[in-house]
Amino acid sequence: MGEEATHIYLIEDDRTVLQFVEDSLRLRPTWRLVGYADTYAHARLMAPTAPADVFLVDLGLPDGRGEDMLRQLALARPDAELLVFTVFGDETRLIAALQMGATGYVLKGCSSEELIAAIEQIREGGAPISPLLARMLLKQFRAAGAAPDSPLASSPMAMLSDREAEVLRLVAQGYVNKEIAQKLGVGAATVSTHIKNLYRKLAVHTRVQVVKVAKERGLI
Amino acid sequence: MSAAAGLDGLEAPARRTVAYLYGVGLLLLAMLLGLYTVSRPAALPGVANIHVATAQPRGAEPAPPQAVRLPHILGDETAPWHAGGRYTLAWPAGLVYAPTEDVQLAMLLPRVGTRFRVLLNDHELFHVGWHAAPERTINAAWLPYFVPLPSALLASVPAANTLEIEVAGPLLERSGLWPVQIGDYDRLYARHDVLYGWQVTGTWMMVITALLMGAMSVFLWVLLRERLFGLMALASAAHVVRLVLSVLVEPHLSYDAYFLLHRIAFTLYVALICLIIEDLFGLGLRVVRWMAYALMVVGPLWMLVTLLSGEYDYYRVWAGLLAAVAFFSLLLVLWGSRLGRELTPDQWLVGMVAVFTLVTGVRDFLVVQLNFSGDADLRWTSISSLVLMLTLGWVLLQRTTASVREVGRLNATLAQTVARREGELRTAFNQLRESERQRAVEHERRRLMRDMHDGLGSQLVQTLNAVRTQGQGMDHRVIEGMLYHALEELRITLDSLEPMDGDLPTILGTLRQRIAPALEAAGIELDWQVQEVPEVPSLDARGVMHLFRCIQEVFANVVKHAQATRVTVRTWAQDGRVCLSVADNGRGLLTVGAGASGGRGLNNIRVRAEKIGAEVAFQDAAPGTLVVLAFALGPHQEPPDTQAFWADDL
Repeated sequence: MGEEATHIYLIEDDRTVLQFVEDSLRLRPTWRLVGYADTYAHARLMAPTAPADVFLVDLGLPDGRGEDMLRQLALARPDAELLVFTVFGDETRLIAALQMGATGYVLKGCSSEELIAAIEQIREGGAPISPLLARMLLKQFRAAGAAPDSPLASSPMAMLSDREAEVLRLVAQGYVNKEIAQKLGVGAATVSTHIKNLYRKLAVHTRVQVVKVAKERGLI
Repeated sequence: MSAAAGLDGLEAPARRTVAYLYGVGLLLLAMLLGLYTVSRPAALPGVANIHVATAQPRGAEPAPPQAVRLPHILGDETAPWHAGGRYTLAWPAGLVYAPTEDVQLAMLLPRVGTRFRVLLNDHELFHVGWHAAPERTINAAWLPYFVPLPSALLASVPAANTLEIEVAGPLLERSGLWPVQIGDYDRLYARHDVLYGWQVTGTWMMVITALLMGAMSVFLWVLLRERLFGLMALASAAHVVRLVLSVLVEPHLSYDAYFLLHRIAFTLYVALICLIIEDLFGLGLRVVRWMAYALMVVGPLWMLVTLLSGEYDYYRVWAGLLAAVAFFSLLLVLWGSRLGRELTPDQWLVGMVAVFTLVTGVRDFLVVQLNFSGDADLRWTSISSLVLMLTLGWVLLQRTTASVREVGRLNATLAQTVARREGELRTAFNQLRESERQRAVEHERRRLMRDMHDGLGSQLVQTLNAVRTQGQGMDHRVIEGMLYHALEELRITLDSLEPMDGDLPTILGTLRQRIAPALEAAGIELDWQVQEVPEVPSLDARGVMHLFRCIQEVFANVVKHAQATRVTVRTWAQDGRVCLSVADNGRGLLTVGAGASGGRGLNNIRVRAEKIGAEVAFQDAAPGTLVVLAFALGPHQEPPDTQAFWADDL
């Protein structure tokens, strides 16, 4: 699977990260870095039309919010993977990014192998998650269930399935995907898929909202 | 209360007050003038006033008829008259009529009694209580009587008519015959109407007014327990008794009871009015009080003596005494307040009305008792008592409303005070909360600085020192490892700041992400047996950091010293506590603890565990070591921070 050609677009103002990404890509000769933007302004113009499968997005751009970039990309490129590139796994901010359409995240400071693994995981339908993120998601879905008029509850997709809830609970207790798969008697890939589905549910609302707003403004 | 009334007086604009009092004074003078005008003896056209009669006592020994002047009072005559008298009135010379004329004549008896009958040409025309049993109490004197003279009974020659009036009654009631009017039916009827309205209807109105005043005063007294209202209620009651007994022609009482009740009621009324005025002026005049009390005590005895003696002069003396005491009291009160301080408008009002009442009382005494000139049938006190009652009622109402207003004002002040205090309290609370917040921020800042210092700081210093001492020859992998550690330290610190609500499994899971690579590198398998447990209150951001350090220390020991291949992490709840255990299958506690650094490490764990309210136990699990942390679920009191430790480090 790793041999499949993957086209990457990097939105990042730190040149050393660009260097790191370029270095890492040497591990996968078929992969391409098809574009690079170091400002929000540049990315806004170029990224949506770039022929990329994976976007690596830094949240701290010098001239704009990475979250806004994510929203635009989510609208323009619903098929693409949007990976947040962050120094810390700051879960509160990650949830916001996931709601804006991000499908995963990578910690800056990881090794080249870890970056490649993260990209491969997401291309294969998996998603990274941390115990704290799982705990926050559980709380969020539970709150949405308790308040039927909340934005999350407005979509039928927003309802958490029992299996998904179980996965989240185990992640929150510190179990890793392999252990969860064993406990639930499923494959490790299935656990990953569950998590990715969760992210989609989180973002569905945002996508619906964005389309609605865009229609109202006459943009589409 | 009197102070409140006084304030009211001072608050009112002075000019308006003066105008108001002048107005009241003029009104009272006008009333006096009106009373004088109305009650001046005036001749009615077509009506003859009869002031003389031929009279004969009704005693056992008949005496020859004699000419008498009217009013003729039985009690003023000799003993034979005490049983009653028979008066023959000469037909007035001016009252003529033709024999064939159908005349409309009548007779008016403004005052007669207490029992009487009227005979025209030996026919009984009219009587009040004349044929009633002797023990019955008949009191006809308060009412005027209109007696039509039927033309059928009149003699054809006017002078041939014989008009006789027989009178009997208790001497103490001033029984006898007062001047009589004979003449035109209509005019006398109108005159009778005036007298009746004045004396009878007026009296009943007074009764009703006094009853209302009394009831109001009783209510106010029950509510406020103020002496003045009690006095007013008693005075009203006494007044009602006196008036009702005056106007009832046939009270169902024995004469003795009637006399005592009627006269004592009047005495009490006068004494109570004196007390009321004294209280109203608030001068604390003991003389007035004692005089009033003396009247109340002596009055009944005096009346008893009067009754037993049957001498009207005793009563006359008493009536004079009552007038004198009232006059003297009023004088004292007015004098005292003039000397003492300014009078309030209400006190002026009461003073003026009291003087007015006194004047009318003196006038009635002079006219009725001492036969001064004036219409004795129209008593001024009937009017002045009403005025006095209403005035006192008005003043009491003023005082009540003043007190109600005062209560309202106090309530408003109280509400203001409460609101102000509330505001102050809120401000103080906000200040407290703000300072609490600042304290918490400061606390957190200290903790972060300490963590940075101990973790990231020392890691960076180590790296820097390594680079400096080993310079070019240093393996970049070593530097990378050290920097990676520094970043991990920073991440741990930031993790501790995430809101984890004391959720132990999530806290451990977060830490697992940080330590798993090191375990993996050391070839140690991690057996994760964590399960959901109740939240641990002591694991706030600070507590999480302490726990992180504890677990790091435990794992560091395992990695460095235990030579283990497997570590098991477990959580469970037991006996109201939440427990966490880390067990390895290495060399065991004793061997590990033998090392100097190992010993210090365990001690660090103990200190940190204490800070988060956890009990820590190290057990030799043979093979391996078992470390158990047990958290209490109650609120945790952290031991005082050792500030010196940090300050010295700086």
